[in-house]
Amino acid sequence: MPEAVPEAVIVGAEIVAGHDGAAELLVRLRHANGVESPVVLDEETGLKLMAACGASHVDDLAGQSWRRILEAS
Amino acid sequence: MFDVIVKNGVVVDGSGSPGYRGDVAIKDGKIAAVGQVSGEARTIVDAGGRVIAPGFIDPHTHFDVQLLWDGAARPALEHGITCVVPGNCSLSLAPLKIADRQRLIGMFQQIEEMPPEAFTTAFEWTWEDFAGYREALEKDLSINVAPLVGHSVIRLWVMGPAAQERAATDAEIRAMQDLLRECLEAGAVGLSTSFVDVDENGRPVPSRFAQFEELDALCAVLGEFGRMLQCVPEFYATDITLARIDQLAELSLKHDIPTTFSPLFDTLAAPENAERAIARVEEQFARGARVWPQMQTRPIDISFSLLRPSLFFARLPRWVRILRQPLVDRLAALRHPETVAKMVADLGPDGGEAMMGRLVARGGDACPADLVGQSLSQIAKARGQAPALALIELSLENGLDVSFLSASAGHQSTDRIGPMLAHPLVHIGASDGGAHLSSFSTYGDTGYLFSEFVRKAGAMTMEQAVAKITSETADIWGLKDRGRLQPGLAADIVVFDPDSIDRGEERPAFDMPGDGMRYVRDATGIDTVLVNGQIAYAKGEYTSARAGVVCI
Repeated sequence: MPEAVPEAVIVGAEIVAGHDGAAELLVRLRHANGVESPVVLDEETGLKLMAACGASHVDDLAGQSWRRILEAS
Repeated sequence: MFDVIVKNGVVVDGSGSPGYRGDVAIKDGKIAAVGQVSGEARTIVDAGGRVIAPGFIDPHTHFDVQLLWDGAARPALEHGITCVVPGNCSLSLAPLKIADRQRLIGMFQQIEEMPPEAFTTAFEWTWEDFAGYREALEKDLSINVAPLVGHSVIRLWVMGPAAQERAATDAEIRAMQDLLRECLEAGAVGLSTSFVDVDENGRPVPSRFAQFEELDALCAVLGEFGRMLQCVPEFYATDITLARIDQLAELSLKHDIPTTFSPLFDTLAAPENAERAIARVEEQFARGARVWPQMQTRPIDISFSLLRPSLFFARLPRWVRILRQPLVDRLAALRHPETVAKMVADLGPDGGEAMMGRLVARGGDACPADLVGQSLSQIAKARGQAPALALIELSLENGLDVSFLSASAGHQSTDRIGPMLAHPLVHIGASDGGAHLSSFSTYGDTGYLFSEFVRKAGAMTMEQAVAKITSETADIWGLKDRGRLQPGLAADIVVFDPDSIDRGEERPAFDMPGDGMRYVRDATGIDTVLVNGQIAYAKGEYTSARAGVVCI
């Protein structure tokens, strides 16, 4: 059996102001090597991600796989 | 005999050197003398001890359309701006075939939020090529214009609808190169592209379908002219921004061109974002590349209405759930007393005062005029309601089309941003003047630079601030006869009071075609603005001068 490759996980999320006045979701990912990096999602994608994760609060996104972002996109 | 002498001022010449008492003389639209000027002039402007500086240059605007009926790009000129760069973010009004106009209008409306009448009644659309647009533009200018040509429209011209579907063929890339060359010969100061913008249907704009080979080929043409590549990178996605910086650096080195990306925002949610980007820019400049990050001075706001679900409510699960419903169901929920009581209760014992009290009613199409500009806290008190309830009921009473603004929600930390703006490799710009009209004001960033970062924070001297938005901008963009008070250069001049120059309060104005609304800020502390030696604005009034040119 091949060993599963560790994947990036969401470690936090914040609402930020986009350049056009829309609220955006800044999702912080921790990669398998321990490095953290932000990814920003537009309003619709951010709300879809929360729905897909069953998150009632942005803090509930912590611990989810980065793949949930793909599903929401 | 001079045409004009601006006398009795403090000359801040744009070089960053300390100001000194002196005068500036003008002849034939050019600066003729600077210092203690003797001699006569047809017109004397008494600066009264105020600063005499080069006119400010705004390198990131979307005035492409407005300039066709308002050659002053109001209110930019009254803020001391004497040159604007439109055509950013891959979009310009030329070159464009008649058949593609509607497609481009949709993209422009998405960015500028301009009413449809702006495109149908406000000007006569006579051109297809860039030279034709320049001719139309130059008929009535009182401000100078250094226009970019948009990558998306170049793609659209060559590929038609396929521009928003696929990569270009080699033949199409060669055709784009020829077209870009023609635009640069006709007066474009560079090419703009975008990696993030969408059209009115949420589809990526054409430039986003380009592969690197296409951008590389277009930059080869920019290299023939030594012209600028401007791009919009992925905001806040730091690693992608770093990759874009590296990509721009390769293009800059390979083709010997300047490049700029805009905007670069600071956010407390990802405090390393701007710092890492600037550090990477430093590395690339050390290699000889020119990659200028543009950073705006003003904080950014969040605006929303209950017409669409907003992430503003992301910490309120019930609100998100209700606002994500189809409109009919959403309205039913918002009219249901028990549901609304629960929504208000979600805000806690203060009824939303802490989270929502500072929201400002912004209009939308239906907000009662007497409420525009009031805080939700004020509105709620007048109604005798909790702020959360007032937000819901005011929205319901007006078809949900009432916008609210959460001010200074990002890029708001003066202590952090001041040193970044003062950084020698950070290009002050990204105002977006002429865009996002019905969401927030994109005017007055230069006044805010002086009030917030010079006077209040002391992040830079007044002379450094002037240099940042005059000579340094002119040098970055290759505007050879602008940006300095120096004999022989164009007489673009602003006279201002260093103790009071500022941006005014944001206010709605109904001065767009079709009585369309936009948010503006008036200027404070600007006394006189001269463009190419003619007084274009003085003592709070625009003049009839039309001395603006397309400057390259």
